[in-house]
Amino acid sequence: MTLDADNDAENTAELSREFAEQWRDPAYGCFSSGHKFCRNVCPVMGVTQNENHSPTAFHANVVAMGQGDLTVEDVAADYVHCTQCGACELRCPNTLMAGDFYRARTRTVDVVKAMRALAVQSGVEQPRWKRWVEATVDRRNEPVLDVPVSQDNVGRWADGLGLPVGGETLLFVDCEAAFYRTALPRAVALVLQAGGVEFGLMREQWCCGGPALEMGYVEQSREFAEHNVADWRAVGARRIITLDPHDYISFTEDYPRYFGDEYEFEIVHITELVAELVREGKLTFTVPVERVATYHDPCRLNKRKGIHQSPREILRAIPGLDFRDVDHVTQWAYCSGAGGGLAIEKPELTAAISAQRLDRAAQLEVDLLVSACVWSERPLAAAGEERNIEVRDLMELVAESAGIEVTT
Amino acid sequence: MTTTAISDALYDELVGILGPDGVLVDKPARWNRTRTPAPFPVHRWRELVPDVVVLPRTTDQVAEIVRLANRTRTPVVPRAAGTGLTDGATPMRGGILLDVKRMNQIREIDLVDRTVTVQPGINMLKLNEVLQPHGVMFPDDPASYPCSMVGGRIGTSGWSLIGARYGHTRDLVCSMEVVLPTGDVIRVGEGGGRKLRKASTGYTLKPLFIGHEGTLGVVTEATLELVPRPQVEFAAFFGYHDYQTAWTSTGALAKSGFATLAGVVLFDEWKLAYLRRDDEAYIEQPDWLKSVVAVAMYGNEAEVVPAAREIMRIGRESGGTYLGDEVSQGDWAARHDRYAIPLHGRLRSGEVVPMSWHCEDAALNYSVLPQVREEWHAIADRYIREYGIFDDWGMFAYTNGAYKPWGDYLVEIDIGIWEQKLDDTNWEAWLACKREITEVTLKYGGSISACHGASREGDVEFVPTELGGGFEVMKKVKRALDPNNVMNPGKYLLDRAYQGDQEED
Amino acid sequence: MFGFRLSAQRPPEPRRIKDDVVMRFDHVYEVSPDKMTVFRQQDLPAWDTERIVGSRWDHLDWMHRHFADKVLGMSDLGLREDGTPAE
Repeated sequence: MTLDADNDAENTAELSREFAEQWRDPAYGCFSSGHKFCRNVCPVMGVTQNENHSPTAFHANVVAMGQGDLTVEDVAADYVHCTQCGACELRCPNTLMAGDFYRARTRTVDVVKAMRALAVQSGVEQPRWKRWVEATVDRRNEPVLDVPVSQDNVGRWADGLGLPVGGETLLFVDCEAAFYRTALPRAVALVLQAGGVEFGLMREQWCCGGPALEMGYVEQSREFAEHNVADWRAVGARRIITLDPHDYISFTEDYPRYFGDEYEFEIVHITELVAELVREGKLTFTVPVERVATYHDPCRLNKRKGIHQSPREILRAIPGLDFRDVDHVTQWAYCSGAGGGLAIEKPELTAAISAQRLDRAAQLEVDLLVSACVWSERPLAAAGEERNIEVRDLMELVAESAGIEVTT
Repeated sequence: MTTTAISDALYDELVGILGPDGVLVDKPARWNRTRTPAPFPVHRWRELVPDVVVLPRTTDQVAEIVRLANRTRTPVVPRAAGTGLTDGATPMRGGILLDVKRMNQIREIDLVDRTVTVQPGINMLKLNEVLQPHGVMFPDDPASYPCSMVGGRIGTSGWSLIGARYGHTRDLVCSMEVVLPTGDVIRVGEGGGRKLRKASTGYTLKPLFIGHEGTLGVVTEATLELVPRPQVEFAAFFGYHDYQTAWTSTGALAKSGFATLAGVVLFDEWKLAYLRRDDEAYIEQPDWLKSVVAVAMYGNEAEVVPAAREIMRIGRESGGTYLGDEVSQGDWAARHDRYAIPLHGRLRSGEVVPMSWHCEDAALNYSVLPQVREEWHAIADRYIREYGIFDDWGMFAYTNGAYKPWGDYLVEIDIGIWEQKLDDTNWEAWLACKREITEVTLKYGGSISACHGASREGDVEFVPTELGGGFEVMKKVKRALDPNNVMNPGKYLLDRAYQGDQEED
Repeated sequence: MFGFRLSAQRPPEPRRIKDDVVMRFDHVYEVSPDKMTVFRQQDLPAWDTERIVGSRWDHLDWMHRHFADKVLGMSDLGLREDGTPAE
């Protein structure tokens, strides 16, 4: 072994010790309870039935590492199997029954992110994540499949809409929408205009940084955040509208951690804003949408943020729609499988999770599944094709029913 | 960086049966399939891991694995959800951990003869989500309802929160397919029937395969009872000034004779003190409240409404004060998934520390509850004072008999254990505490376990005493069915069945 | 106000309810923070407390619906709130 290799090994051991020390007690809160109520709401467990992928294992491994029984090399590959949907933490009695009482709740998502970060720091990288993050760093936006991604065309989705740059309110359009599902941000922009909301775009929008952080690339993620917040400040923004729930998580959880009390922005998710516009009569639905539909609760809205009423309120206001709802608690166990980098490293699991989701929709005999998360819509749509169920975004339905023609 | 604990030959044979995806030799796979929510000697974790994990999908695969185990004399430990409160699913001798979670299919829903046939790796809540649109329910409802699995329920002979109305696990199995310790596959039920509830042909074998903790084989399919989905639920919580009155009231309620009565639960003063620490339903309860009795009923509205009115009268007249709809309904709903929360652990200073949960689950007659309660708390108190890593979380007594909820109770004292502080000394202290509790159970004519099984240390030493000549029969049965001692060896002192003519480990 | 603002996320100072219990938000109890020196409290923003409490009630309602079509209360039995017969 060379001197460098020795140093690396020592460094890894030291990082692992720090990690086990930091997460020991929260992990032990899970390990010692052993309820495993998480397992039956975990989307990955739902398709692999392999307990290595259970949220309980993600905590138990930390305890075992603390005892010297396991190493980051032993466990890193298991931690790929998580969409960070948050179902496990919410369903855990330690959160659901007592998290507020102790101001300490189960932190599986954080543990998964921390373990992935430890793995990256220890040189145990997942090949597809590594390439994805490298490409994101290179282009400042995620390498969304099949389309050219660069700063030159990050705003191209808005061509012809005459949207200003800057202003007090900004619309942040995530990478999937900006490059791939361009009709969606166009619909959102037109809906906002119809509702009388003044907004602009960033001068130079980079990836939110969330995916890199979810995959364990902490420093890279931070760079994106620094850039975006500097851009917001430079144009005098006070309020950021997100159309992607993943961005909403980044801006309400990661960014506050980076910037502390200086983080002065109001962050609004589009479904909350549109529901308010409908309530206030600023947006009215006049065109019937004659479809039989159910709603897919995006994990990062429903489970991780408790946002489940506003999308239902919107759907119930759309005339002509036969809305066959599945309540949001049942949907704690639902997921598209697209989150947390799973779709990049394990696309076959994402496809299986989306297939399960569409099977459940098919049981309701619907012809339309409405989501409010752009990242979920690609795998859900693929699974929907096989079952003759169309997958659309809530905002596209809103535009249609509000009589807005979304031109491309 | 994988350490393989089995030979290449055994690995190859297992892969031949299951494919590579069904055989796991990595360390996390082995480390994460041993503990159960029962107190666990975490400092000795590495001594309790299996050598290999298998994930079968079919009965044939299970049978082949068990035959291979016989040929190679390799231990096999079946594990379903791993949520049991004893150590049935914890391997004592390494070997093959047979994880049935991929055996999670519903084979048949028979709405005419009212049964559902499932594989053992299905969870009851998930099953009932599928059954709900059909207007039926599989009413096996333990505290682990959202996570435990049919196979484990059968393996431990579980108890159900609503068992007074609908029966417990053993009352809900019409028949099952069992892979015997030799790899032979049989179906046991009532006589030879698959969907019969009562027969008298031949020996009554079915109960033998319920509650054996994996020592007599693996259940690979079960045909289960379906009951009409209840139209209504009714729960009433009564408060009392003292335990004696609450105990008397419990007896009166349990003896009321209503067929819709699903269960009566008696909470003692220690339990209320525990609930008052954190539970919003109890924090603001008045100081005079020293005991609570919960009653639940399920069934058709036409039956439950008049019966519930009578229950309210009995509760009132036997000294209970109704605690209101909000407490009654909220707390009852929470009883369906009432596993302990580690942070309810308190040091004597009141400091919050994460503790794991020991739930003593003796079966005891109604008449002895007050005496047992006093003696158990006194034991717990001594150990709390001496070791500082234990906490008394109070006692419940639940009606225990299926359909006849009056004579005996599942009596639990819940003890918190700060496992992070475990070492050999503290673990021995815990076992000593457990043994003292068990001795009290036996002194009062009870059974060590109403529902978890009695295979773990602190219990198992007393099994021959409790069962007497019955334990001799257990050994003969074990040896007859499992000649090579491959099924979950080391459990229930059953190595004694082989002493004298077989090599000991 | 339905957007997120970091400045609105800091929980109010606790007021004491009884020996070991305090309250920051109405009807949300909390263990006395001075008992959490071994196992540390976390930074729990206001939205998270609200999410947990809301989810708890939603979950308990869900459990009721899971086990029966209807939950009976005293009014369904023709009794008063305290469980005694109406006059």
